Amino acid sequence: MNPHIVPALASAALLLAPGLALAQAAPPPAWAQGRSPEMANSTLAPHAGRLTVTPPDQLPTAQLRVPEGFQVELWAHGLPGARVMVRGPNGTVFVGTRGIGRVYAVREEGNERRVSTFMQGLQQPSGLAIRDGALYISAINRMLRVDNVEQNLSNPQPVDLTSAFNLPEAPHHGWTHIAFGPDGRLYVPRGVPCNICDTDGERYALIASFNPDGTDRRIEARGVRNSVGFDFHPRTGQLWFSNHGRDWAGNDNPSDTLHVNLRRGEHHGFPWCASGWQDPAVSGRLCSEFPPPALILGPHVAPIGTHFYTGTAFPERYRNALFIANRGSWNRERLAGYEVVVVREEEGGRLVQEPFLTGFRDDANQRFLGRPAGVLTMPDGSMLVSDEQNGAIFRISYRR
Amino acid sequence: MRALAFLAAALLAAATPSWAPAWAGDATRGAALAEARNCGACHGANGISPVPLMPSLAGQQAEFLLVQLIMFREGLRPVPAMVEPARGLTDAEIEDLAAFYAALPSGPAATDPRNEALATRGAELSAARNCGTCHRPDYSGQAQVPRINHQREDFLVHTLAEYRDNLRVGMDTQMNGVMHGLTNADIRAIAHYLAHR
Repeated sequence: MNPHIVPALASAALLLAPGLALAQAAPPPAWAQGRSPEMANSTLAPHAGRLTVTPPDQLPTAQLRVPEGFQVELWAHGLPGARVMVRGPNGTVFVGTRGIGRVYAVREEGNERRVSTFMQGLQQPSGLAIRDGALYISAINRMLRVDNVEQNLSNPQPVDLTSAFNLPEAPHHGWTHIAFGPDGRLYVPRGVPCNICDTDGERYALIASFNPDGTDRRIEARGVRNSVGFDFHPRTGQLWFSNHGRDWAGNDNPSDTLHVNLRRGEHHGFPWCASGWQDPAVSGRLCSEFPPPALILGPHVAPIGTHFYTGTAFPERYRNALFIANRGSWNRERLAGYEVVVVREEEGGRLVQEPFLTGFRDDANQRFLGRPAGVLTMPDGSMLVSDEQNGAIFRISYRR
Repeated sequence: MRALAFLAAALLAAATPSWAPAWAGDATRGAALAEARNCGACHGANGISPVPLMPSLAGQQAEFLLVQLIMFREGLRPVPAMVEPARGLTDAEIEDLAAFYAALPSGPAATDPRNEALATRGAELSAARNCGTCHRPDYSGQAQVPRINHQREDFLVHTLAEYRDNLRVGMDTQMNGVMHGLTNADIRAIAHYLAHR
């Protein structure tokens, strides 16, 4: 399943190495494909994640800012790589990761909140979903289910559903977010195994749904470069998903985006069009052929958690609003993202986004203090936000 | 040693302005731990490996060392020789070991004769794959991206083949992509070029 690298994109590498017979079979690393000539000497590279415990006194808790009336506090720490969060019916919060290969469990025991490593040794278990007391875990190319999970926290015996789901084997962009839809089906996106390429659209660049046992695969959305966060509108049930634009096209293009999938199988533009921007590296189809995104989020901001607030403790204007955790840029000279934004519908249906949780990005010094990734509404109407860089979880609450 | 570790941390911060690592491993404690766990038997007392197929660690990027030690401990990078040495290491111990090896001066380039044709071929292959973007133009690495100069040629051959054959995966999947389709001869050329810089 090798993606066909668009010839124009590989040409830079070919020019540098005439006579490199294997160049076409050997794509440059995914993040370096499609690099414009002026970025050929760039030293931008993905930021190192931190995989060791960050002590509480080194967390940016005091630097974090929320709108007036809200408070932010440290809820849990000592979970290196903490990314996605789901909550079991008995109150256990499960936390998925990427590089460190763990799934954590956070439980309240008496007056104590305890963090334990629930599973480990998985390849990037970044997708978690709960249904009927079972925890579904997606790691690269794998799907596991732990039945009665909260009764088996100390000795989980996962059922391996990998062969039933038959996910594509290419590891790149193979870490997924998963969630059950209102239709009871498990939604599993699959990003592209490249930065920009004309790939197999039946296998990659899509969001699919399955029966919980992995049967009856259906493509829900096409032309999606890499969605690692989505949710279903609390009233309409529509699938809203965020999407990462490609790298190496410049500081400000393309933007990352928010989409709503209005029809099953709808095509959202990859590889030809991203955030209304016609990618010069690929020809064949025009932006005008695809539905525009619901909202432009910003260049390289890297939306992860994409979550409708379903509680009632926040003020009216936040009910059913969409919270997006922008983990923050690497392929941009000045930092962008590193904050949670809230997307609200104004009168007339216009969508607007506002900063909600800020303070992770230090503009003056061009450094970041943390990387927000997961968002979860708690039963009391408070909100949890994970910080993947620091392995911490913050709680945001509202007090009139 | 503490001063060296501080210098290493300062250099690290300069190379990666975006993320100011809050962790601060202690190179002195790391040196004691390296001795207790007998790391030098394979990796050399000064971090420059005298043993075939064992990597030199001197001057290696601290964050790279840290990530690899965690992957050994978590069973995510299966190397039999590292199972026992990594068993039960705490996060703090891993940070100390990383600080110790990062602060040691990296070794010289290989002293055996340089094969010009092979090195030229390796240089071409490296340029075509933009190795110098992440590993820096002098191949000294940055943050979680390792130093790949001043390394044993035989180890480079071994580890590049592991990436190509998907026997080794890093923090992400970049190196598997970059090595895809390279022949053993290509790998020998890249390793020879890097080791002789």
